[in-house]
Amino acid sequence: MAKSLASLTGLFFLTMAPPLSWCQPPDTGAKSQEERIQALEKRVEELEQLLRVSARKTELKEEENIEKAKTAASVTADTSGFTIRSNDKNFSLKIGADLQVDARTFTGGGNAGLTDQLLLRRVRPTFSGTVYKNVDYFFRPDFGQGNTVIYDAYIQLNYIPHLSLRAGKFKPPVGLERLQSDDDTSFAERGLPTLLVPSRDIGFQFSGDLAGRRANYQIGVFNGVPDNGLSDSSPSSHRDYAGRLLLTPFLPTEKSPLRGLAFGLGASGGNVDGVALPSYKTVGQNTFVTFASGVSAAGHRTRLAPQAYYYLGSFGFLGEYGLTEEGLQKASLRRTVAYRSWQTEFSWILTGELKSFSSPTPKHAFDPLHHGWGAVELALRVGDFAGERGLYDYGFVDPTKSPRRAHEWVGGVNWYLNRLVRLTLDYGSTTFEGGLPAGGNRLPEHVILGRFQLNFI
Amino acid sequence: MQIRNLTIAALASVLALIAAGPVKLLNVSYDPTRELYSQVNAAFAKQWKAKNGVDVQISQSHGGSGKQARSVLDGLPADVVTLALAYDIDVLAEKGHLLPANWQTRLPNNSTPYTSTIVFLVRKGNPKHIKDWDDLVKPGVAVITPNPKSSGGARWSYLAAWGYALKKNNGDDGKAKDFVTKLYKNVPVLDSGARGSTTTFAQRGIGDVLLSWENEAYLALNELGTNKVEVVTPTMSILAEPPVAVVDKVAAKHGTAAVAKAYLEFLYSDEGQEIAAKNYYRPQSPQIAAKYADRFPKLTLFTIAELFGGWQKAQKRHFDDGGVFDKIYTPGT
Repeated sequence: MAKSLASLTGLFFLTMAPPLSWCQPPDTGAKSQEERIQALEKRVEELEQLLRVSARKTELKEEENIEKAKTAASVTADTSGFTIRSNDKNFSLKIGADLQVDARTFTGGGNAGLTDQLLLRRVRPTFSGTVYKNVDYFFRPDFGQGNTVIYDAYIQLNYIPHLSLRAGKFKPPVGLERLQSDDDTSFAERGLPTLLVPSRDIGFQFSGDLAGRRANYQIGVFNGVPDNGLSDSSPSSHRDYAGRLLLTPFLPTEKSPLRGLAFGLGASGGNVDGVALPSYKTVGQNTFVTFASGVSAAGHRTRLAPQAYYYLGSFGFLGEYGLTEEGLQKASLRRTVAYRSWQTEFSWILTGELKSFSSPTPKHAFDPLHHGWGAVELALRVGDFAGERGLYDYGFVDPTKSPRRAHEWVGGVNWYLNRLVRLTLDYGSTTFEGGLPAGGNRLPEHVILGRFQLNFI
Repeated sequence: MQIRNLTIAALASVLALIAAGPVKLLNVSYDPTRELYSQVNAAFAKQWKAKNGVDVQISQSHGGSGKQARSVLDGLPADVVTLALAYDIDVLAEKGHLLPANWQTRLPNNSTPYTSTIVFLVRKGNPKHIKDWDDLVKPGVAVITPNPKSSGGARWSYLAAWGYALKKNNGDDGKAKDFVTKLYKNVPVLDSGARGSTTTFAQRGIGDVLLSWENEAYLALNELGTNKVEVVTPTMSILAEPPVAVVDKVAAKHGTAAVAKAYLEFLYSDEGQEIAAKNYYRPQSPQIAAKYADRFPKLTLFTIAELFGGWQKAQKRHFDDGGVFDKIYTPGT
């Protein structure tokens, strides 16, 4: 009984305990619970603040990065090379390269003395770009064939539209194919008229487009190098003046079939006292004309180079004539004599890309696993080179060693794997008139030229 | 002869058409003046057109004052600058030679058409009970202010805090430094400009108090509403003097020198002063100041010349690289 009473009492207190606790003032345990809730709320608030601060810092960092990106320089790598450029595009440095690995194989009985060879024809790193928006620079040395030569080094000011000023070492404005970049020519080696124009010279040149790109002019003053020559110094205090006017009357007319037509005239003139005499080479790069010993340049030299090209669809034509009329002296004999040359070349891109003065960009770059085969071009060139009779009659050139005339034809195929890489296979044949004792003709040169080329500038 | 006359007439017409085209000005200003100058520009353009018959198109560029000055140095073609402090325009004169060194003497009141000060913007109900500068250094109070390296307003805030501590501690520089060090330990995030700090405080809900230009604080109050924020005016603060100047070289190049000068002079006119007062900038004109006296609570104001020896000295000691601010503030703490 006593036990059951105790149980009942316990049950009473158990059931009544909660209501009683509500009626009483909060005990210590309840107070700390409320404080804990407040503390937790405060903690949550603090954590929320921390999260917000963190998010805001991220936001500010992103804004800062966007601001930085607005002024940061960009680095790009594409078909025109590797370029570092300031955000406003006023400053840039482009690094490019021109690498040509050649194989020359001479065939036929007349080539017994000629050496077949594999060689690095051109190894030219290129550094170019812009400073202060309107000033361009270009620097290109060549380490090919075991030599180190500065080919191009110039600054060009482009402040005035239609009137750029270039100073330094570069191609004087005379020959058409010479002014075409070597990665854009249709053959591994340029044609015979290029022998009669300067390669690179030091000087100043004004240039620009006129009449809405319907004409382009270049005019300048140079040291005056020999035909097909280049130099880093001046042989005399005389200067050569060179200029070219190229008309492209239909260039701005988008749909005209004559849009790809250009024709013009390049010329140079100046005193050649003290200037070295040139030698002339075949397509196989063998010398076929040298001047006799004791002969020197004396007096005036005039070069003329009428020129034209025409591109329509996949077809291309380029024609050029070259004349160098130069004063020569042997002992007391002084005469002005001339070399003349011409060439015509035709090209056809079999794969349908557009032919132009520049290399084609294949519609489908070479990628055999994805049916990309690049672009294929066929090309044919015919050319002639002849010296005036006086050269031989006056003894300026030895007719038993140097032919009076050379006639060449070259057929070739170019395989453009992509915009930068090209394989070339040319067959060139040069026949001669004269060049051997007793009026005999120098034996013909037959050469197979193969080239593997990487070029991006 | 007739053809010649016709040609001259045609050329004159073309020139007249060219001459009649709108004059374009670029005002490079600091962060919180967007609203002020959009109103000033409209009023000035109207006045200029009425007087001269020529349209004026005024573009605005805003950002942290120091950053804006650097942009002008780097070529941003500002015809006029209306920056947060004289030092930023001094830089344009000294480093860029864009205007003469005595530029501040060319317009009244040291080329300062209106003044302002630094006040506090707190959350509704002022839960942290922030009444004066001392409350900002208490533990647990998060203070929002921009980076004094890039923001003119932040430099004024920093110097206001320093000046308060100096005055409170009888010129004890060490105690002032300790005070400002403690204050910046309570700054969780530094924006680059005043408008960014307002965003941090008002939009992102960070911090307990925003050190703000007086005009920016009232603008926030009007935009956010009294149910969200309150403006607290401390017992003392700094007299902030944001100056204006024509950038002579740029204006001469653009052929806008005359209109640029007139534009700045307009700020001193009654109309310009009223626009300033309406935007909570303290006008220099006693009449306009009296008219809008109820907008501007009274407080003790000290000047930068009085306590810091002018902007050149203050800048060199406190805000140049390696200065006091770099030593007392470590990012991320």
